[in-house]
Amino acid sequence: MVNENLVEDVVKEPYKYGFVTDIETEKIAKGLNEDTIRLISQKKEEPKYLLDFRLKAFKKWQTMDEPDWAGLGYKQIDYQDIIYYSAPKQKEKISSLDEVDPKLLETFDKLGIPLTEQKKLTNVAVDAVFDSVSIATTFREELAEHGVIFCSISEAVKNHSDLIEKYLGTVVPASDNYFAALNSAVFSDGSFVYIPKGVTCPMDLSSYFRINSGDSGQFERTLIIAEESSSVSYLEGCTAPMFDTNTLHAAVVELIALDDASIKYSTVQNWYAGDEEGVGGIFNFVTKRGKCLGKRSKISWSQVETGSAITWKYPSCLLLGEASVGEFYSVALTNNLQQADTGTKMIHIGPKTKSTIVSKGISAGNSINSYRGLVKMGTKATGSRNYSQCDSMLIGDQASANTFPYIKSQQPNSEIEHEASTCSISEDQLFYLQSRGIEFEEAISMMVSGFCRDVFNQLPMEFAAEADKLLALKLEGSVG
Amino acid sequence: MEIIEKIKNNKLIDNQTEIQKICLHKLQSSPLPNPKSELWRLSNKSKFSDFLDYSINEKDPKFDIPYPKNSQSTIRLIIGESYQIKIIEENYSIQQLSEDELDKHIKEQISYFDQNENWSDLLNLSLSCTKNILGLKINGSKIPPIEIFSHASSNSLNAKTLVIFLEKNCDIDLLQVNLGEENSSLSQSTFFCLEENSSVNHGVVSYGENRSNLLNSLNVIQQKNSEYNLGSLHFKFNFARFEIRIKQSAGNAKTNIKSMQITKKDEQISTYTKIDFNGPNGFLDQLNKSLADDKSHAIFEGSIIVPKIAQKTDASQLSRNLLLSNLAQIDTKPQLEIIADDVKCKHGATISQLNEEELFYMRTRGITLPEASKLQLSSYFQEIISFIPVSKDRWDLLDKLLNEK
Repeated sequence: MVNENLVEDVVKEPYKYGFVTDIETEKIAKGLNEDTIRLISQKKEEPKYLLDFRLKAFKKWQTMDEPDWAGLGYKQIDYQDIIYYSAPKQKEKISSLDEVDPKLLETFDKLGIPLTEQKKLTNVAVDAVFDSVSIATTFREELAEHGVIFCSISEAVKNHSDLIEKYLGTVVPASDNYFAALNSAVFSDGSFVYIPKGVTCPMDLSSYFRINSGDSGQFERTLIIAEESSSVSYLEGCTAPMFDTNTLHAAVVELIALDDASIKYSTVQNWYAGDEEGVGGIFNFVTKRGKCLGKRSKISWSQVETGSAITWKYPSCLLLGEASVGEFYSVALTNNLQQADTGTKMIHIGPKTKSTIVSKGISAGNSINSYRGLVKMGTKATGSRNYSQCDSMLIGDQASANTFPYIKSQQPNSEIEHEASTCSISEDQLFYLQSRGIEFEEAISMMVSGFCRDVFNQLPMEFAAEADKLLALKLEGSVG
Repeated sequence: MEIIEKIKNNKLIDNQTEIQKICLHKLQSSPLPNPKSELWRLSNKSKFSDFLDYSINEKDPKFDIPYPKNSQSTIRLIIGESYQIKIIEENYSIQQLSEDELDKHIKEQISYFDQNENWSDLLNLSLSCTKNILGLKINGSKIPPIEIFSHASSNSLNAKTLVIFLEKNCDIDLLQVNLGEENSSLSQSTFFCLEENSSVNHGVVSYGENRSNLLNSLNVIQQKNSEYNLGSLHFKFNFARFEIRIKQSAGNAKTNIKSMQITKKDEQISTYTKIDFNGPNGFLDQLNKSLADDKSHAIFEGSIIVPKIAQKTDASQLSRNLLLSNLAQIDTKPQLEIIADDVKCKHGATISQLNEEELFYMRTRGITLPEASKLQLSSYFQEIISFIPVSKDRWDLLDKLLNEK
């Protein structure tokens, strides 16, 4: 067995994004009832259909039970002890970035997300969400020239109400699950993307989510619509300050791809994971789902999950269109007392659909890292194929790695292949690398990086670097 | 489900033995398994109630073993027939367990039972009267093959229990045959204890007739350096569940499992396995095959549990499935739960139909499509059948499977 103390030292790297921005915020009172929902809706000046959508979801949520099937051990959440709306105070309408509170810009600068004009050198448009509201969206004019709409969902409700009304809740219905119902009732902000027919989005789009208040939950909602023959690559990043309390993050992401459209959705999740004793950290209970509605459409999820005390997340694809394609590439790293229950669902409904799943789990410390996935071939999914690969790496003898693949087929003319393996940091490999003059830490990083390569290769260029940085946070050294 | 009402009201059996009392008591708090639990959620409710719909049979009519003995010396036993077994030869001995030994062992097992996970065993032990519990203590080597039969007669629910102690350095070939007559239900629980350095080739062949049902549960405890090889085959049941629970109590043991279930018409057959490594250097090689045709449903759920103590475990699990009809369905869930870091564990699963390229190749050589399919199926079946002991010479399992309508 590898010298565990050394490995643990490597894995123990402090959380760099744990600072709090001292900024005046507008918060509503704690608690959740119909009035809270009406108040949120009123603050956001929403049309009636959206308020109705929220209230209906709330009614549904009240009848539902919090899911416990994943066996995640956490203290019961008091839903009345959460602030459901918190926003930094600023002028009513912002016409340019110059008017954004400099403290906020500074916060995002510190996080490595440049919002100010002079720093927007990289070819990525950013929507920055701070607690419950979107602060700024960059490159909007350039995107508008191509007909691409990229704005906060609150703005979209005002300016593109028809699209919101048509698509919101069509992929993840309010009644889908407990946390999706909660999100539908109280969602505050998030990003909206619309790519018109035939347009290849000229730059990568990115959202950055920042939780700043310790007592408010974040309930963002993202909706991406790719019209016929369009394509877009969307990146998402998340951080939060260090608090002793657990903060709830229950997001919903809906993707819709029409004929020949393609959406690539990449996430680097680095919410605060709690301290070594498991105190504090974000509860990341997220519902992400894409609908490949059109023929030959494609939705690809790639994720690097390194943060959160508890992650409960299954980015899924509903493959309805003929010959549509779903992909899922994931790296999940857990340490200390973190728990990650993540995986995907590939539901093959249309004929000739194809899906690929590559999941890499790394568990260290006392953490629990589980892959839970569903592959289902419906009765009409003739000529469909799935390939899944789930690998786990265990560091130390206290960590746990589980694999729960659910496989169901109702179509003889389809093929499903699943394979999973578990390995540890091999002493032989370490010895080999060290005997060639490679430092211990670097050798571990190299091995972890090699283990994750299949997934890192799928991340967009701009994000691959960030993913590397994040893994390096946890596994010090030159990962990648 | 009259039987469940009887359990609730404690009116199931007159003159209950102590074991029956304990099990009934455990069942009374939740007479039915939790339908939402992973172990039961896929079970067809109406078929499961078919299983429970028969009244309990305590008087077994005369049962004739369907196959004649061949020249090979085989020891044949029927659970439910009263005989005194005491075979003492130069190299080996086979003796019936005394009532005290049986009681002690079963009670110890029950103390570990989980209401939901061991529901089938609890039901079995609640129903099984003393006559229907066969306990054997086997010792020595060069033991002739043993065949043990369980049988369910028509229009009744039958419970049979088998307890086998394999003493140190003993090795045997044992074939267990479970037969269900038309419209019958059989609850079969088997408890196997392998002492150090013992080894067994265990075959389980279960098949029924029209509308017969089966709950078959197999609990194996393996001590150090023991080897347990299981080959099993289940087919022709309206509803059947085969639950395998194996515990390598101190590691350093070997387990090989090759199991197969074949479903046709509207049958549902499921296999659940749980392999618990409770010590280091454990080994597992598991293959489960399913074939689902017509409107049937085949299920496999296998879990491998490797706690911290089980370092150097080497476990692999493969689920291979053939889906032959548009209306049939297959569910499979091979799962791993690992805490130890120095282990080799892997699993795989595939679902497909017969290989088209192979069929095409055979057809270009002048073999007709039905013949080519049959050839492919026979090689698919043969891998499992050849692993079932004592069956090769006279059980004609392959013919049975290929020619079964």
